[in-house]
Amino acid sequence: MITKFQVAYKNLQRKRIRSLLTLIGIALSAWVLVSLLGFNQGYENALNKDIDNMGFELMIMAKGCPYEAATMMLKGGTGLKYINESIMEEIAKEPEVDKAFPMLMSAVFDPNKGESGGIAGYFGVEARSFAELKPSLKFKQGKWFTDTNAYEVVMGYEAAELEQREVGDMILMPEKNVEFKVVGVLERTGTQDDGTIFVPLKTLQKIFGRPDELTTIGIKLKKGVDSARLEEKLYKLPDVQVVSLAQVKDTIMKLISTAKVMVLSIAIIAILIAMVGVINTILMSVHERFQEIGILKTIGAMPWDIFKLIWIETLILCAIGGVLGIGLALILSKVTGILIRYVMPYAPSGGLVLIDLKLVLITLAAVLGIGLLSGLYPAWKAGRIRPLEAIRSEVGR
Amino acid sequence: MRSLGQKRVHLQFRNLQFAIWIEAFLALFLILGGYAVTWGAVGCDLNDPDRDVARLFPESTGYKTHYVSIDRKGGQPLLAKIETRLGDKFRGIYETIDVPYTIYEIFANKKKIGYIHGVNQKGQFGGIQVFVVLDLEAQIRGFYIQKMTSKYAGKLRDANFGKQFFGLTLKDFELYDVTSGKASGRVEAIKNPAPEAEADFRAALRATKKNLILMDEFVYSSP
Repeated sequence: MITKFQVAYKNLQRKRIRSLLTLIGIALSAWVLVSLLGFNQGYENALNKDIDNMGFELMIMAKGCPYEAATMMLKGGTGLKYINESIMEEIAKEPEVDKAFPMLMSAVFDPNKGESGGIAGYFGVEARSFAELKPSLKFKQGKWFTDTNAYEVVMGYEAAELEQREVGDMILMPEKNVEFKVVGVLERTGTQDDGTIFVPLKTLQKIFGRPDELTTIGIKLKKGVDSARLEEKLYKLPDVQVVSLAQVKDTIMKLISTAKVMVLSIAIIAILIAMVGVINTILMSVHERFQEIGILKTIGAMPWDIFKLIWIETLILCAIGGVLGIGLALILSKVTGILIRYVMPYAPSGGLVLIDLKLVLITLAAVLGIGLLSGLYPAWKAGRIRPLEAIRSEVGR
Repeated sequence: MRSLGQKRVHLQFRNLQFAIWIEAFLALFLILGGYAVTWGAVGCDLNDPDRDVARLFPESTGYKTHYVSIDRKGGQPLLAKIETRLGDKFRGIYETIDVPYTIYEIFANKKKIGYIHGVNQKGQFGGIQVFVVLDLEAQIRGFYIQKMTSKYAGKLRDANFGKQFFGLTLKDFELYDVTSGKASGRVEAIKNPAPEAEADFRAALRATKKNLILMDEFVYSSP
């Protein structure tokens, strides 16, 4: 015996182009919805990873705007002011501190980059402590500096690729005209380290005439300690600013929320268009089968049977459209991530769109729910058709 | 005949079809746009194409950008052919078969008038980016080193150095040996403005020869 599902499916096949277009509408809406929700969790996840990759929880820098400085740090830019290296000793005394890492960021103007010149940045670190801070860094070629005063550099993968450098090659610091030997090239990490040129801290301090000065101190906390308490103590140090990376994350997330609201609005509009499409398609189908439904009722079909039949058509359309849309979102998640990265002023490294099983199920449920809601009116209308009136009417009244 | 209600529904349906096609078109545009930026190795693009094209090709009114790689165009046999024509192997970990080359096709109104193409080249102290501006006969009418790290970069990036390349073609560069640096004919006449930076001077010449060979394979001799 033919089931209601089979009847509904055959009905949809009668007007294939119309059903297909409705499916496309639902699929595109589902795609937008799942991509947006995937971006919601992907962005936060990527930001967390970026912050974890920094290897420390607190940053100390000279007084200034903490958010500007921290964002520049994340982007691999330069710090704004300098702090004295002696602060390191005071910080290390605090019981909450596991390790403290000195860093100096410096930049020079390179007049031979493009038509109007460009900035070349350098990151001064202590090889031993930095390697401890970022144990995940792997070398494609070579190793860390041999000496804290050596004129050597370790290059991130993209920096080496842009400069076409390999271990043993020389590199010149423009403006200062200082030559360095490339002793290491890092493997690609997908983080800001890829574009960084690492120089021994003491060497960089010497070249820029800033002995015993730093731009940043990274602090790694002991497990389970109260970060807020340490922050309060560090604020008592003269002329320094304490930036918690959790605080940086919150600020960036707040900035991103505006963009999210705008994209969510677009997603809602897309869903509304899809809803109208479903109502339109099913309503037209009911109109065209006016007499047919009348005959069904004459031979004993109850209003609830007709209602179910029409509702199942909606269900089939939404289920197929939803699955197609989710599939599309999964396949194109990387491309969507690239486009988002292209548009956004700051995007963390790594995948920006994260679609997991939970998200897939939520989206599918939402699409089915919205679809079933859209099918209510056409199904109710079909259920109320009077048999005699329908049989007497012209075809497709 | 259709009733008024049916006509309304039909109109609604037409509007909806239009909306769906717009959505589908946008999706396709996004997908194609996305794929254009998913290359693996690093290429050589103009930093500011709108400004640079207008400067390098003053009579131009527009340009189109094409991405070509040896890998996609002809694979290993093409790489071998290019290396033979260059007289040198592709070297290092960055001069690879999958490097995407950006070709700027230049137009004056709707008429094509030439090309701009750049390549990366390993220099003594960093990467060098060498662009040549070519007319439709593959003759150099502009030369631009976009990036160079050297104490003498200013001399090699000077317009007077670039002018020495004007009017040269691949035929002239065929007489230049990139491994020994020996040249004859018109390439021999190119003077190095910074003898202290001989390595970078030779790198610029190698990059120019490679650039012209690639353009010949990708554009001028391409069916």
